[in-house]
Amino acid sequence: MTPSDESKRLEILQGTLNMMILQVLLPDSANGYEIAKCIEQRSDELLQVDHGSLYPALRRLEARGLVEAEWRVSPTNRRARYYALTAEGRQQIAAEHSRWCALVDAITRVMRPA
Amino acid sequence: MSLFSRIRQWKRGAENLPEELAAHMEALRQERLELGDTPEEAARYARLKIGNLTAVQESVHEASAQGHAETMFRHFRLAFRNFARHRRAYGSAIVILALGIGMSTAMYSLVDTVLLRPLPFPNQDAIQVIWKADPVAGKHIGELAYPELADLQTHVPEYQFVALLPTTVYGYGKVIQIGEAEPFQVESAPVSHDFFRVLGIDPVLGRGFEARDESEGAAPVIVLSDSLWRQHFSANPAVVGTQIRVNGEGHTIIGVLAPGAAFPRDVDLWVPLGRNPRMMTNRAAVYLQAIARLRPGANAELARNQVEMLFHLQITDHPGIYSQTQRAVVTPLPAYWTGSAGLHLWVMLAASVLLLLAAAVTAGNLFLSRTLARQQEIATRAALGASRFQLLLQFTLEGIAAGTLAAVGGLAVAYAAIRALVYVAPADIPRLEQAALHPEAFALATAVALAAAILCSVLPGMVVIRASLERSLREGGNRSGSSRMGARAQNLFVFAQAAVTVALLVLSVLLVSTYRSMMQTDLGFANEGTVTMNLALRGLGPSVDEKQRDDFYATLLQRLREAPGVQAAGAVLVRPLQGPIGWDVAYEFEHESGTREARDLPKSQYQVVTPGYFETIGTAITGRDFSAHDRDDTEPVAIISKALASRLEAAGHAPIGHRIRLKNGQAVWRKIVGIAADARYRGITQDGLDVYVPHRQAAQQTNYLMIRGNLPEETLVQIVRREVAKADPRQAIADPATLAQLVDRDAARHRFNMVLLLWFGACALILSAAGVSSAIAESVAVRSKEISIKATLGAPRPRLVSELIRSSLLFVLAGEVLGLCGAVALARLGQDLLYGVKPYDPFVLGIVFVFLLMISATAALIPAWGAASRDPKLALSAS
Repeated sequence: MTPSDESKRLEILQGTLNMMILQVLLPDSANGYEIAKCIEQRSDELLQVDHGSLYPALRRLEARGLVEAEWRVSPTNRRARYYALTAEGRQQIAAEHSRWCALVDAITRVMRPA
Repeated sequence: MSLFSRIRQWKRGAENLPEELAAHMEALRQERLELGDTPEEAARYARLKIGNLTAVQESVHEASAQGHAETMFRHFRLAFRNFARHRRAYGSAIVILALGIGMSTAMYSLVDTVLLRPLPFPNQDAIQVIWKADPVAGKHIGELAYPELADLQTHVPEYQFVALLPTTVYGYGKVIQIGEAEPFQVESAPVSHDFFRVLGIDPVLGRGFEARDESEGAAPVIVLSDSLWRQHFSANPAVVGTQIRVNGEGHTIIGVLAPGAAFPRDVDLWVPLGRNPRMMTNRAAVYLQAIARLRPGANAELARNQVEMLFHLQITDHPGIYSQTQRAVVTPLPAYWTGSAGLHLWVMLAASVLLLLAAAVTAGNLFLSRTLARQQEIATRAALGASRFQLLLQFTLEGIAAGTLAAVGGLAVAYAAIRALVYVAPADIPRLEQAALHPEAFALATAVALAAAILCSVLPGMVVIRASLERSLREGGNRSGSSRMGARAQNLFVFAQAAVTVALLVLSVLLVSTYRSMMQTDLGFANEGTVTMNLALRGLGPSVDEKQRDDFYATLLQRLREAPGVQAAGAVLVRPLQGPIGWDVAYEFEHESGTREARDLPKSQYQVVTPGYFETIGTAITGRDFSAHDRDDTEPVAIISKALASRLEAAGHAPIGHRIRLKNGQAVWRKIVGIAADARYRGITQDGLDVYVPHRQAAQQTNYLMIRGNLPEETLVQIVRREVAKADPRQAIADPATLAQLVDRDAARHRFNMVLLLWFGACALILSAAGVSSAIAESVAVRSKEISIKATLGAPRPRLVSELIRSSLLFVLAGEVLGLCGAVALARLGQDLLYGVKPYDPFVLGIVFVFLLMISATAALIPAWGAASRDPKLALSAS
């Protein structure tokens, strides 16, 4: 990665991390590393995930009952904690998804060149 | 998922967090290795990517429920560490709060037990006690006669049941003999047959009285108290129906009352009242009071009016018997029961509430000072990233911690205080011995203390935090910013404390003054060592004539006087200070004879005494004492008190040799042979008129024996016991006490109140001084720079000092004025407790005013003088 690449990277908008975690978990369960990687890859490496900050967020989601976790063996043959959406989590991501789209749409209109 | 299992899962997750993070790092490292990094580069990348592991763990932990609890715990620990560091300030605040909580809880518990808890009688407010008052006859209570029972029953339809009983308990002692055991004396109450129905109680064993028990010639029956039954009948239920000897006559036990249901207090035996047809029809035989129960749904006020109307009707219905000015006195039983103890306790409760307020104010003041002093610490913590919320939480928890410590202390104080109060309190406060901690009172006092602690931690905390966050450390620890608000608050505290303290001090000084007046009162009984005891002759039977009775006393007294070590002996109808009610008699002097109707005659206390009585108790006489020659066949004589004699003198007659007639059966003219010093028979604070007649010329018997000698009290009592047993083994003496002890009993309530109030007043004074001192110290700390500059510029020290203390002392003055008003108002409410001093006594008010001002000034001067005397250079360079 070159320094110029590094400067193009974006901070994650406050409050969106939870939403993205839920979105990533929508198709399948994943461990912390996979979630972080998935967000980075899907954003074409533009979003910079602080891997450490993932864990408090995951714990909070877990506390709210949106995700649940279990220990499994990862593809690299290590024990890792895998997170999966609960039914509640699925509802939540659906709601957040449409709210997000509406928000982006609105902001885009505002930012349209006059 | 239940909360519990969720927390458990959380906990597991938190425990495994390191492993989870390790797996994450390993994955990151693997990724870089696969891209061709060296192992070192890969490890460094992984560390960078995941950040500070400890920080991650901490933030995960804080998000958890357990984390919350631990944060709270940490704050509490911080609070306690803070207390420990500033042990003196917080320690005293907490101790003060604990004292306030404890004392007010204890006092409330007593008030509740004695005054508020219902009596053991159902629907107690429907029970009324009735007697008469007559402004013309004097301050004595007017008593009723047996025929008035029927009057009340017919003329007061609001009453369901009415009963009669004597106004006094004493004089009705009975000697009980069970089998061959030694006889003993107990107090009894003769009552008319509806008495227990009025009270609303049924005996737990057997039955109560019926109308047939009251008729002449009815088989004599008695009802026992629970304590008598337990002590002398081993709580045997089979006693009902058995016979015992009461005053030598066989009586059948028909019932036993429930525990605690004894009325009048200290009575152990109830007997039917109406067994003498002459008494039952004689309207002049007034020695009774009525007790009545309203019928369900009746109006108490209406009943009172009906009684009032009845007593009016009596004047016309029975001409010549009733005074024109007689009025009804109707008292609800609960008020009658507690009597003046109620007023005493309410005053003490008011005082302890004042103390609690003073304690809350002082503690609040101390917290405020501490908080203001911590401005820099707060600023530092804010700069280090503590959030506003966290800081406020810290203050709140400190308040809670302090309040909790104070509550624990207060609980201990309350327990100890109740024990101590019950122990030292005079025995005549009803039910006091049952007092126990009142949980609601404790909760309330604790709530007040907690609120004070929290408010006084959080409010200044908020101000300090705002100031700190705004200016952070800019001002280098100068606390002028929030101190203006602090100074204002502290001055208010000083004001409130001065008010409370003045009120408490005025009340306590008034009580001290009362007590001093009581102790300095010339009671008219000089020989305080004289031993007195109840020796009402029992069991001689109605057939025994007055002469035999009088002979018994004469012989007994003669033998006692001859006993070695005995100096004097005598006997009297009712001994001094036995109680507020005695024997009254209407009197008239010869010179005014016939000018007034019999019913309008003034009344005086009536005493029957043996020769030697005055010498025994030390009442001075001019003229002569009665002698053995004053017999029923010699000229009737009397001795009157000085106050009574002065009435004669005012009318221009020499008392000695003049004649007086007493309206109590034997309406003979008696020659006045002596004048006795005024004596206080009814109570230390009650003066009155006394007339004495010799025992051989009176139908009433002497009930109390007096003996004086140079022997210890117990020995004298032993001598009497021995001689009484020799003269008549069926007799028993009761309740021996020296005159000094009788005086002491009478003064006990006042002393109790006075000591408590003094203690409260002293506490408040200390708190108040501490409050002023801390307010001045605070303002000195704030203005140290200004003071130093002024001092450098040559301002004289006295002026600096006066500038520093002026405003606080002004608040003290204002508080004192308010406190004086409150104290006078309170003292007027409790005027009945005062004797020899007015509630607005200017001397007392002035003394307290000046005293508190001086104490406050001293408390203010110490820190102010210190500040003004400091080397200004040192102070300036320190900041």
